[in-house]
Formats: sequence, C-alpha cells, structure tokens
Amino acid sequence: MDRRAFVKRSCLGGVALFLDHRGTSPAYSQDLIPPAPPIHVNEPTVTTVSPLRMPGLYPGRVVEISDERSIVANRVSQSIVRQMIEQGMRELTGEKDPRAAWSKFIEPQDKVGIKINPSGAPACCSSPEIVREIVAGVQSVGVPARNIFVYDRYAYEMDIGSYQALVPLGVRVTGVQEHKLDVSGYDPDVFCEANFFGEWETRSYMASIVSSGLSKIINVPTMKDHSAAGVTGCLKNLGYGTFNNVDRSHRRPFSFTDPLIGIMCSVEPLRSKAVLHIMDGTRMVWHGGPLTQNRDFIFPAGLIMVGTDPVAMDTIELEKIEAKRRKEGAPSVWSRDPQSLTNDGGAYYQDASKNLFYRQPHHIAAAGKLGLGISDRKQIEHQEIRIA
Amino acid sequence: MAHNWPTLLCDNARSGGQGAQPWRAPGRSRWQTNVEGGVRGSPVLLGELLYVPSLAGFLNAINIRSGRLQWRFKAPAAIASTPSISSGRVLFGCNDGKVIAIDAVTGAKSWESPAEDEVWTSPVVQNEAVFFGSADGAMYCVQAETGAAKWKAALGGRIYSTAHVAENRVYVGCGDGNIYALDARTGDVFWKAPTGNGIDCSPALVTGTLLVGSQDFFFYALDAGNGAIRWKYEAELGITSAPAISGDSVIFGCKAGTLHALDIRTGKVIWKTQTGEAISAPPVVSGTVIWLQAGITFAINVSDGKVLWRAGMGNSLHSAPVVTNHAVYLAGMGGEVYALE
Repeated sequence: MDRRAFVKRSCLGGVALFLDHRGTSPAYSQDLIPPAPPIHVNEPTVTTVSPLRMPGLYPGRVVEISDERSIVANRVSQSIVRQMIEQGMRELTGEKDPRAAWSKFIEPQDKVGIKINPSGAPACCSSPEIVREIVAGVQSVGVPARNIFVYDRYAYEMDIGSYQALVPLGVRVTGVQEHKLDVSGYDPDVFCEANFFGEWETRSYMASIVSSGLSKIINVPTMKDHSAAGVTGCLKNLGYGTFNNVDRSHRRPFSFTDPLIGIMCSVEPLRSKAVLHIMDGTRMVWHGGPLTQNRDFIFPAGLIMVGTDPVAMDTIELEKIEAKRRKEGAPSVWSRDPQSLTNDGGAYYQDASKNLFYRQPHHIAAAGKLGLGISDRKQIEHQEIRIA
Repeated sequence: MAHNWPTLLCDNARSGGQGAQPWRAPGRSRWQTNVEGGVRGSPVLLGELLYVPSLAGFLNAINIRSGRLQWRFKAPAAIASTPSISSGRVLFGCNDGKVIAIDAVTGAKSWESPAEDEVWTSPVVQNEAVFFGSADGAMYCVQAETGAAKWKAALGGRIYSTAHVAENRVYVGCGDGNIYALDARTGDVFWKAPTGNGIDCSPALVTGTLLVGSQDFFFYALDAGNGAIRWKYEAELGITSAPAISGDSVIFGCKAGTLHALDIRTGKVIWKTQTGEAISAPPVVSGTVIWLQAGITFAINVSDGKVLWRAGMGNSLHSAPVVTNHAVYLAGMGGEVYALE
C-alpha cells in the first residue's frame, strides 16, 4: 500500500459477547466479570480480501503431530521436529512435496515474519529448532534469508532465548521495542482504543513491522496456560504480540483479554498477513503461564500443531491444557471460584490451585464470532498423527 | 584512584581483575546516573572515565568522580557490544555492522571497519590486531591502528561469542554449534569441535584448556591444541554466561539461574548456587567475592557460593560490573549506571 486509507470501526464485543457467553457456557452462568467497554479500531481499508487471511485456506482444520522423541531431557531434537513439521505441512495441504506445501502460503517475493513467543524464555519459549525448520521451509520457496524476520515485541526476551545466535545466517532478528516505554516501533495510524479501567493511555498501537514491513506472517506460539487469558496460543501470541500497551486489559481480578485478543487479531493488515500457525507443543505449560520458570508445571508434551485457523487450534490447545490440569488436580481455567484468587505472584507460581485473575478462555470463542475461525468442537477436524 | 578495566572481565585472561581485595560490602552509592537507552554490554574503565555503551547508540564517557557525562559519541545504530580499550582508543561493535574506534579522551572517531551484519561481540585487541565476530558468520581481523582489514574467515553460523585470543590462536564459539580455533595470523581453521547446539558464550583459556558453554546445556573443557574434549559438565539449561576464572575454578551461570563453580582440571562441582533469574551475564571475580548481574545484583562468596548481598539495582541480562579497589560500577537495561563504594 503506497497510500493508506483508514477506516474506523467499533466492536461491540463487550456486551454482545458477554450475553452470548452466558447463554452458551456454564462457566459464565456465575460470571462476575463486567462486560468490556466498546473497542474502537483504526485500520487501513482492505479493498481485496485475500483467501489466506485468517481463518485462511483450511478453516476448522488442525493437524497435530506428536513424537515423544521430539523432546528428551528438555532438549528439542532438530531432526525429529524437522520430520514433524514436514509431515504436518503435507497433511495440512495435501501436498506430497514439502516445498509445494510451503508454496501454498509463501511466495518468493514475500517478506516473511516469524512471530515467536519468547515471553517464557528460557524455560518455555518458541523453540529455536522449530524456528530453524520454518526458516528452511520458507527458504525452500525461494525467499532469501534477508527477507525473513524472526520477531517479537520485546528485544530483551528474545535475547534471553539467544535467538540472535541460534537462527540461520542472514535471517533478521528483530525486537519491536527495547524496553517497556519504547513506542518507536509502532504505527501511530493503526490502533485499538478502549478505556478498560480508567487508564491514561487508551490506545494500543500495531507494530510497524506488521503494518508495513512484512507481507506474510507465520505465527509460532507456545502451548501455555495464561493467568488472564486462560491459555496463550495462536490468538494471544498474535494479538498481544503485535499491539503495545496490552497489560492494561487486566486489573486484578478482572481481565478483558476477552474480547480484546480477538479484536486485535481481526485488525488489518494483521488478519490478512497471518497465513499459517505452527504451535510449538514440545513443551506444555499447564500452570503459571505465561512467564513461569517452574519446571513442575512444564510438561514435555512432544507435539506440534499446524493450521491456518487460530481459533480451531487454540480450541484444541485449551482442551489439552484443561485435560492436563484435571489430571494434575488443578482447577479448570474456567473456574470462577474467588477462593482461588491471590494477589501474591509468588503463590501463583508455586501453587496450581491459585490464580491472579478470573481467566478468560472464552476469548477463543469470541474470536470465532469475529470470523477468525471455528470454535465449535464438533466442526473442528482435528487430525492426530503419532509418529513415535 | 582508578584501576583500569579495559575489556570484558578486565583482561584477556577473563580473570575479572583478581586483585586480592578484601571483601567489604558497598556502603553507599557515590553517584547514580542514567544514560539514554538500555545498557546491554558491560562498561569498561580507563583512568577516570567509565565507558558505557547503550542501545540508543551512544558510547557514553562518564567521569567516575562526579558521575557526570564527559562526552558521548553517537554511533549509527544501537551498541550491544562490550567495548574494549587499547592504545588510547575505545573500540566497540555496532548494530549497523561496523566496529568503530574512537579516541578515549576526546571521543573523536579514529576509524571504522565494516562487517556485513551486526557486531554484538567485544573487539579483542592483541599484537596490534583487532579480532571480532559478526552475525554475518565471519571472524574479522583488522589493524588496530587503522582498522584496515587483515583477514576474514567465514564460519558456519552467526557469531555472538567474543573471541579469546592467545598464542596466535583465536578461539570462538559459533551459532552453528562449533567451537573454532583459528590461526590469528591468517584466519585459517586449526580445528573445530562440535557441540549439540549454537554457542553465544565467550570462551576462556587456562593453561591449555579452553572453557566454554553451549546452548546444548553442556559446559566444555577442551584441549586448546586440538579441540579434544577433556571433560564436559551438564547444566540445567543453555549457557550464555562467559566463564570467569578464579585460581583452579571456573565460574559461570546457566539460564536456569544457577551459578556453577567447577574444578578446571576435573570438571567436578565445587558448588552451585541458585539465584532465581536466568543468568546470561558473566560473573566477575574480585578477591573473595563474585559479582553477578542476573536481574538484580548479587555478591557471592567465591569459596562456597553463598550469597553475601543482593540488591535491586542494575537490572541486567548481559552486563557485568567493573570492580576496582575503590568502587564497583554497574549498568542496567533501564540505562541506569551506579558507582558503589
């Protein structure tokens, strides 16, 4: 876009989705959470809708590849994740040749962003081994390394993960901001605006690398519990990893991650550019996310999920984290028990029965209602392939 | 008053000063100031000037008596590299892919030498040559006087490990997982030794043993002559923290937040201490005390690893303090700089 035209839209996500949740989720029948305020979006107009924009080429489809050899003694195996991603891409697209599978999403002239999640580094973050395989896949299509950008909002979190040293030669490693108050990497014209708790800055701006630097984004979330959002997967990594000033959507014990996460993911050009999601489930954080370093809550799940529909993928992720929490005797992420709340961050990181907020896993279904994908479990085609 | 500290961990021996300084907890802050941008690299010291690199692209020269900024040099891009000082010049790598040398007194630029990608490593000066690695995957050797290129050696991965140069050899870790020994005169590879993942840790050398950590969670002791493994030790997570040498022990941190002290000859654990934060910075040994910036700042007893003192200042990932007989200087990710005495 040489000259961008902008449009304002208002998302009535707050009241509308709130009422809808009450009707569909038993967890919300006792909801204590007030409805979110209206959220105004300022975004560039989209004149032609790409078939790749979320939910992308394969709505409702989730390919899960598991191999217990993918993580051994807390180390991710390069050769095993290579096989897993290749197979996942082939299964998702129906192509026999991995290069043809990548070509469904990426063209040689693209500038490709690989949106990692380093926020749990070093204990649980997007594995450099998986990032390397994605780089190889993108390069197989003919994209030069200099047009591949491994990025996230926080440079210092990427630094903890040593991504700079570990990605292939020529690939750019970019942190949008160096510190908490650095806004230089954000686009002043693209934003979401809402006043949740009377905060002085009511806008969250889109990272410039997303609004104007990249043509495609491959999203590489991790599989984690999240103290406010319920889980952090494709949607949370993309939405809150693209816009700044997002912490303001939580104030204990409340969180407006529902509907803010989904609304952010619906903002153009993010929605059009995020064409593929590869979830790193080699490790699963079943409690203490997103930042925990407590290895008692990090499980070597040994899986990778591939898809274009972030809502369907996060629905499966939520199911898996709920199952693991049940098995460990931890309360559901849907819990609305005020007794489980604590203001003590230390307690949260040590005790799986505690939480800092009323979690908002319904942000996934809310994103589905915005057209980003399918959250109805019966409509999701979840293909599970176990290699070993 | 001053005690020069011209390079990463004070000198090429990575000894961290090693003066037989009696341990005294800092009693007060002589001064505290802020530089523009966060500080990722470590400060260095020459005479009465402390040189602090910043991610805003400034090399700041701060008077250590007053804490006042004497001058600052504006580089074309962020400076993540730890500077080094040689022959009256301060040298540092820059994110625009250059190593820049400036006059240590005036801050005037002497020369610059280009690489093809960012330089986060610290330039190492020896025998009138400067050695540095770049994210472009190459080690460079340039003339210390002019910055003119002498040789360039293309390795197999990105270089974020500061080289150790000794006896005409350059030892460096690489993102391709190999530790390389190069001929300092030509850049030819003498040997390379593989590890299980990339390396961004800077090696140290003690009596023929090369010591370096890898992101494969192992710490390696290699025969510096041929790269053969003498021993290796498994930590809980990857190792970025450059090792410091103290007598017969080597001390380094790992990303699980554990500081490890090992016997250099055997690799046996002398002690381990949990700090609670990921450790990426090198520890600094000064007399009987180890200084460490891992989130907050720690002072740790070198003989048993017990934490003597901790303070919420100098919040840092990679920066290491400068420790002199009179004061400790440290900088943090928020741009804060402290002089403690």
